[in-house]
Amino acid sequence: MKKYISLIAACCTMTLFSCGSNKQSSVTPPDGGLDKCTLRFSWWGGDDRHEATLAAIDRWNELHPDITIKPEYGGWDGWTEKVSTQINGGTEPDIMQINYDWLITLSPDGKGFYDLNELDKFLDLSGFDNDTLSFGMIDGKLNAVTVSICGRGLFYNSEIFRRLGQDYPSTWDELIALGKPFGEKGYYPLDLDIQSGSTAWYLAVVYVQQQTGKEFITMDGKLGFTVDDIISALEFYKTLEENHVTRTIRTRTDEDGNAALYQSAEFINGNIAGVLEWGSAVGKYESVLPDGVLEAGPLLGDGNGNTSGWLIKPSLMYAVSRNTSHPDEAAAFLDFLLNDASCAEILGTTRGIPASRFAEEAFEKSGSLTGLAQESDSLFEQIDTVTISPYMELSRMKEFYNTAIEKISYDSADIPTAAQELYDSAEKYLEKIRK
Amino acid sequence: MKKHPYQNPTGVPAYTGLLLISPFIIGAVIFTVYPFVCSFILGMTESSISRELRFTGLKNYAEMFRSDSFRNALSVTVKYALILVPLKLIVSLLTAMLLNAEIKGMRFFRTAFYLPSILGSNLAVVIMWQYLFKSKGLVNQLLGLCGAAPVSWYGDSRYALFIIVLLRLWEFGSTMLIFFTALRDIPSEYYEAARVDGCGAVRSFFSITLPQLKNVIFINLVLQTIAALQEFNAPYMITGGNPMKSTYTIGMLIYDEMFAYSDIGSANAVSWVLFAFITLTVVILFRITGRLREEKI
Repeated sequence: MKKYISLIAACCTMTLFSCGSNKQSSVTPPDGGLDKCTLRFSWWGGDDRHEATLAAIDRWNELHPDITIKPEYGGWDGWTEKVSTQINGGTEPDIMQINYDWLITLSPDGKGFYDLNELDKFLDLSGFDNDTLSFGMIDGKLNAVTVSICGRGLFYNSEIFRRLGQDYPSTWDELIALGKPFGEKGYYPLDLDIQSGSTAWYLAVVYVQQQTGKEFITMDGKLGFTVDDIISALEFYKTLEENHVTRTIRTRTDEDGNAALYQSAEFINGNIAGVLEWGSAVGKYESVLPDGVLEAGPLLGDGNGNTSGWLIKPSLMYAVSRNTSHPDEAAAFLDFLLNDASCAEILGTTRGIPASRFAEEAFEKSGSLTGLAQESDSLFEQIDTVTISPYMELSRMKEFYNTAIEKISYDSADIPTAAQELYDSAEKYLEKIRK
Repeated sequence: MKKHPYQNPTGVPAYTGLLLISPFIIGAVIFTVYPFVCSFILGMTESSISRELRFTGLKNYAEMFRSDSFRNALSVTVKYALILVPLKLIVSLLTAMLLNAEIKGMRFFRTAFYLPSILGSNLAVVIMWQYLFKSKGLVNQLLGLCGAAPVSWYGDSRYALFIIVLLRLWEFGSTMLIFFTALRDIPSEYYEAARVDGCGAVRSFFSITLPQLKNVIFINLVLQTIAALQEFNAPYMITGGNPMKSTYTIGMLIYDEMFAYSDIGSANAVSWVLFAFITLTVVILFRITGRLREEKI
């Protein structure tokens, strides 16, 4: 009997270890040479980014016919889930475009991705300043390189504003006042959502950060807002709905179903005239409207010169898989994406204004540093910004924000109750994830 | 009496049979038994993609039963199954009876009614559903023509589940096909004898058709209940679980825990609870229909 029990125990132990097997695999060290191989490169984005990146890969293939790049790309929705699954199964691409908060979930100890410090033979990081590089540094290991730093700003359909004879708002009060003239014609000046972007909550956070000077979540993952601050944020959002600045969640769901705003007829037809978006991702909205129609609007202030509180972040990062068999070749391709002048020109601002000095210089030389991302970037350069905490971007946190917004929008909870729930859930989760 | 040892008359070695089915056994062990055991163990650990496994016993289960999200998802799933399954069985059976009639051109209708069930809930269907049920969609336009007020199909939690049910109801082809095949097997003499005895269509239905179909009804009931309790695709694609989580099923909760929140332990614990719940439901269905199924006609 004892023999059988021992056998079952041994089987269970083996199964337990094998269930989490991929975390133990060894890292291939760089060999200092570029060999013939095929590398997988994945990214998410809109059509503009896809087209530019595919063209950049063609350019790479011309320069390095021995190292073939296999692209894997798609939209943002579901992308985190896809890459998480790949990483969990040890089948992730060699080079990945990653989001800022993934470093917390996928590499809390710095061992989740390849340490790029070891690949300095082929990856030149001298074009990046230390502050920019520090975003991708965990426990002394460089897990990812920041592609660009950008802010989440306001973009408007200029044609609709012109048609209604309205100027872009520059204060919160002006934004609220726009609801009336837009509402009379059946338009909305802005769209805020509770989808994966959680723009409804993000704008409310900017408003309260500007009023209070506090950060919603600190860089080390602590809640900076009190319950009262969260109440102010939710009240502000409710004011926007009540004044016809943005659609209620019910109206939005009825009109768009589960579709993203840039795929919605309401936005494409101009019924929705504004959007809150990261400068690096605004291309997908720009591409569904006629050329030059979407314009960057002022970052709102309180009317007394205070325009602080707006959020910036490393918009995108590149990381190399810790399971790659070709670290040198991956580093060489990464260097091409980040620093090469011809690649920078092909990619344009589809990932925001490049953080690499070499790429930026190439842009300046060619005079191609234009467009919405550039306009938005220069607006953010003029104000005091808040660098977003990666903890704010976690999917579970977004679920808390979206639930609170949805509850007050549907009036299924009063604002203090929804705020308390959001505070308690966020506090509990942040404490768990910080461990 | 002297016992004679078994003599293999064919001369085939004793383990040949086992060898022949070994591909299936190996496949089942690798792709079913192993993940099954792994899932059970992972359900009792605190594990995410980036962290090492840590055994936590029943903590995931305790947290799950305390969570509003789980209770809501379970309630939505049960409500969804309770609405969909009876409706689907009734619609499938009635359609199968209509299609059983020998009328010219019936083959076309049989194919046409089966067709939606092979579409699933793919992107084309999602777009079609949006076209139908969005606030300015076809259904509301038709309601407007009749003088009725538009309905908030996507935005109102009372109706959102209904449009998911409607999609699955529309895809009744496979259930209908099973009924249809069973209806063809009922000897026509039964109906002729009943007619001679003065039995009407309604009486024939309740006294001949239903008793003859009782095992098939049970099979469809069990299959559809299991499918409904596992529902994921339709709400994920069409409503995303909205509004107010009124279409957020257990399947979606498992997906979110696993892939959106990277909480592997919790996702596996919820999966096991769903598994236990489905098993229990099937056992109850077996019990309550047992006597009916055993009755001789």
